[in-house]
Amino acid sequence: MIGWIRLFLAELKKEHRNMFHSRLVYFSLLIWPVIGFITSYYSFKPFSLNDNSPITRFVPPDHLVLFLLTGYLAYLFFWSLVQSAWQMGYERQSGTLEMIFLTPVHRLALIYGRSFSSLLESVWLFFTFVIMILFIVEGIQVDGWWSFPFAFFILFISAVIWGGFLNAIFLFSRDAGFFYTILDEPMLIFSGVRIPPLAFPIWAKGLALFFPLTYTLHIIRMLVMEAATFIEILPSFTVLLVVLLVLINISAFVIKKAENHMKQTGSMVLF
Amino acid sequence: MLIVDGVSKVYQSKVREKLWKTTYKEVKAVEDLSFQIEPGKIIGLLGMNGAGKTTTIKMCTTLLEPNSGSITVDGYDAVKDDRKVKSLVNMIAGGERMLYWRLTGRENLNYFGNLYGIKEATLKQRIDLLLKEVGLEDAADTPVEQYSKGMKQRLQIARGLINDPKYLFLDEPTLGLDAPIAKHLRSYVKTLAKEKNKGVLLTSHYIDEVEELCDEVYILDKGRLILHDTPERLTASVFKENSLHIWVPALPNRTQKELEKLLRTYHAKMEIKQSIDLEEIEIIIKTEQEITSSVLALLSNHQLTVLKLVVEQPKLEDAILHLAERRIG
Ligand SMILES: Nc1ncnc2c1ncn2[C@@H]1O[C@H](COP(=O)(O)OP(=O)(O)O)[C@@H](O)[C@H]1O
Ligand SMILES: [Mg+2]
Repeated sequence: MIGWIRLFLAELKKEHRNMFHSRLVYFSLLIWPVIGFITSYYSFKPFSLNDNSPITRFVPPDHLVLFLLTGYLAYLFFWSLVQSAWQMGYERQSGTLEMIFLTPVHRLALIYGRSFSSLLESVWLFFTFVIMILFIVEGIQVDGWWSFPFAFFILFISAVIWGGFLNAIFLFSRDAGFFYTILDEPMLIFSGVRIPPLAFPIWAKGLALFFPLTYTLHIIRMLVMEAATFIEILPSFTVLLVVLLVLINISAFVIKKAENHMKQTGSMVLF
Repeated sequence: MLIVDGVSKVYQSKVREKLWKTTYKEVKAVEDLSFQIEPGKIIGLLGMNGAGKTTTIKMCTTLLEPNSGSITVDGYDAVKDDRKVKSLVNMIAGGERMLYWRLTGRENLNYFGNLYGIKEATLKQRIDLLLKEVGLEDAADTPVEQYSKGMKQRLQIARGLINDPKYLFLDEPTLGLDAPIAKHLRSYVKTLAKEKNKGVLLTSHYIDEVEELCDEVYILDKGRLILHDTPERLTASVFKENSLHIWVPALPNRTQKELEKLLRTYHAKMEIKQSIDLEEIEIIIKTEQEITSSVLALLSNHQLTVLKLVVEQPKLEDAILHLAERRIG
């Protein structure tokens, strides 16, 4: 356990110096979700003015800002991990990845350490968002003080696991650009960042199930918008746990497979 | 003791990739190779490009799995107990990659040290010591991107020693380094083996490097071991023939006769080449003995101007060809 913590810290320090070396990086992390948020808000606004617009069937007009904010907040977390995982490809090219595989470090500890540290890098963004939510936005309904830390906890844990999964994928794939594309706009659309999945046609609902962000976001919105009690979120929470467990197992499988592939072929490119 | 026993490695490499069908080609990179590395000894692995040196090193450091044969390190199997083996070995490759350029030298070492799970206090001490030993104390807190080539290479060495490995693999460590830096590196490698009792395997295509450092030499050709010997015996039997190239404006008959007489006493062979424009003549003398000064004395007695003089040490390529012929013949 101490080993894992030390590795997390080492990873944090290294990633901070290696990846987040310029303010520009932070800026680009923030800028897309903010632009996305603003454009969505203003494109929804005309529709949400009257009570019989389609969106109001799912999101009450006075909740729209909060709905979009929670959506973009969670998206921001997940998205920052896509970006940092994308950098993994460079490690393969620069040879540092091979040096890492030369060491006996626990492979899962490595990918979660990395995802954990990229997340910490964007934690200040999180607080910017939270403060906006708390002080500017109307419509917050929580069951009690615990709802906020619990929502944060759920978001953080699922994001770390999601990030670990991405790291595993990006480590060994040559065409990371393909995943990058899939994870960009489709994740935004199908996870229900802007439109609740309930409003989706059936095929899109199916797609939504493939993005872990869907489950996370659903619980977070229940917690801060619907004053859900712990008992009420329990079913969704269980589903999320199962999804995360599956994700951990897939990540472990991919890493194992990729390392084996490397040992057989000498090449780190798995697909 | 690190024991490599009958190890072979076959790569399947993609030849053609159509939309649905890929054809593979098999490359036998290493075939039935056996050798041992004892602590305190330096083993040289010589061979031309593509001989299988890097593949051998990667198998010994668990980055590759052999297709057959076994590698055991102090009793641990490199495939089954790879985590254990990883903590006993390390590898240093030439070149400037494999480091985080935005991090300082110290940060790089600290990161890799943590991957080995080395205790904080031990690690700190070891990093200070290593930085001192490779002469990077002053640059310890400078980002690697500002390092020179030689400095990056020295940091690589420190990285390769971060887990205090018992067996160290050096893959063409002096490739592309300036002569004085390469020399310094060699003497450091020597101390690692002789004073710190590490088993070292180094690959190279320079004979003199291997001759200077190694206790034993293995020569690989196309994945096969073609010779195992001490460097002294190797140079005595295979690398003994120097060639002397002398360019002169002309070679009068009388001089040539005298020269031939002199060379006969040394059992040396001579070849004479005329340049296309007929302006100079190249005399090539192959010999196992040191006769440069006698030949020059003779030429100056005959009032011949020497335009250029080159002494060529035997090449690995020649030796390998020679050995391969000897095996067949
Ligand atoms: N990852 C790989 N996939 C396919 N073939 C390879 C791979 N790595 C090396 N080879 C081939 O294996 C042979 C041995 O290569 P290598 O061990 O790198 O030789 P050396 O280090 O002695 O130059 C060469 O023919 C090379 O082309
Ligand atoms: Mg090589």
